[in-house]
Amino acid sequence: MDLNVESLAEQMLSAALPALKSGAEDAASFARTECTKMAQTLVDLNLQLASNQINQQQAALLLDMQKSAFRNVMLTLKGLDLLAVEAAINAALGVVATVVNTAVGFALL
Amino acid sequence: MVPMKIYTRSPTRKTGSNRSQPVASRLTRPAVALALMLSIAAGLSGCTAKLIGDYDDTFDQGITAVEQKTELYIAKLQSTPNTPFDQSFYDDITSRLAVLKTRAAALPKYDILIQQLANLQSQMADFQKLDQTSPRPISAAIVNDAKTELEVSFESILKLELALKRTGTTPSAAMAPAKAKK
Repeated sequence: MDLNVESLAEQMLSAALPALKSGAEDAASFARTECTKMAQTLVDLNLQLASNQINQQQAALLLDMQKSAFRNVMLTLKGLDLLAVEAAINAALGVVATVVNTAVGFALL
Repeated sequence: MVPMKIYTRSPTRKTGSNRSQPVASRLTRPAVALALMLSIAAGLSGCTAKLIGDYDDTFDQGITAVEQKTELYIAKLQSTPNTPFDQSFYDDITSRLAVLKTRAAALPKYDILIQQLANLQSQMADFQKLDQTSPRPISAAIVNDAKTELEVSFESILKLELALKRTGTTPSAAMAPAKAKK
């Protein structure tokens, strides 16, 4: 049995794209929520500094904490991105597994 | 230099021209790129792509425990701003995070979570300095700001850890043969 490149590619793409889209939506929602919280904290820091509720040293430490928090948000987005790509690859391979395995005569995929 | 082209045989054409058409000319560029990428991924990883580590229940519980202890300490500072600086709290958290980092280092493909733990350790060190140097009653602004930043980190780490459960996209589920359409 011959394999058709166009047909296989189309099936793989159709299986992969929803996984990528779903992953991107999830990541965007998470990023929006966390960035809003951090933006609010930046505004608060500015106001607290202006009203002498905190001093410069405390503001620097709190800003450093915020930088670490932001790095953790970005790292989570990187991880979610990897998971989405992984799901897309596995979905794409899964959708053509039967036809490819039948064509080659053994469980290649 | 002559550019290399990939050719295929047409399954339906048995006679006529021997010349096959380049695949790249009949497929869209993304489709070709996808097919190549998937072939490489399959070849490298035994047909199942694994780009990041698996969910680890011990790690999840460990982070959750650290978060609970931190929230409890912060709640005390909020409700009773005269609560004295508690070194034992920071010693406990520091040792727990170190143990979790060691565990994460032993788990395959846990680089991202190791970096997140390092960021959390840095935040805890900052929080300790703030707590230790702040006169009592401690400023509510400091406590509230620190709480927000720590929560963002805990949520980030737990969000990723829970995503690693790969609900619905486990290798076995993803690689199961597609059901024939009726």
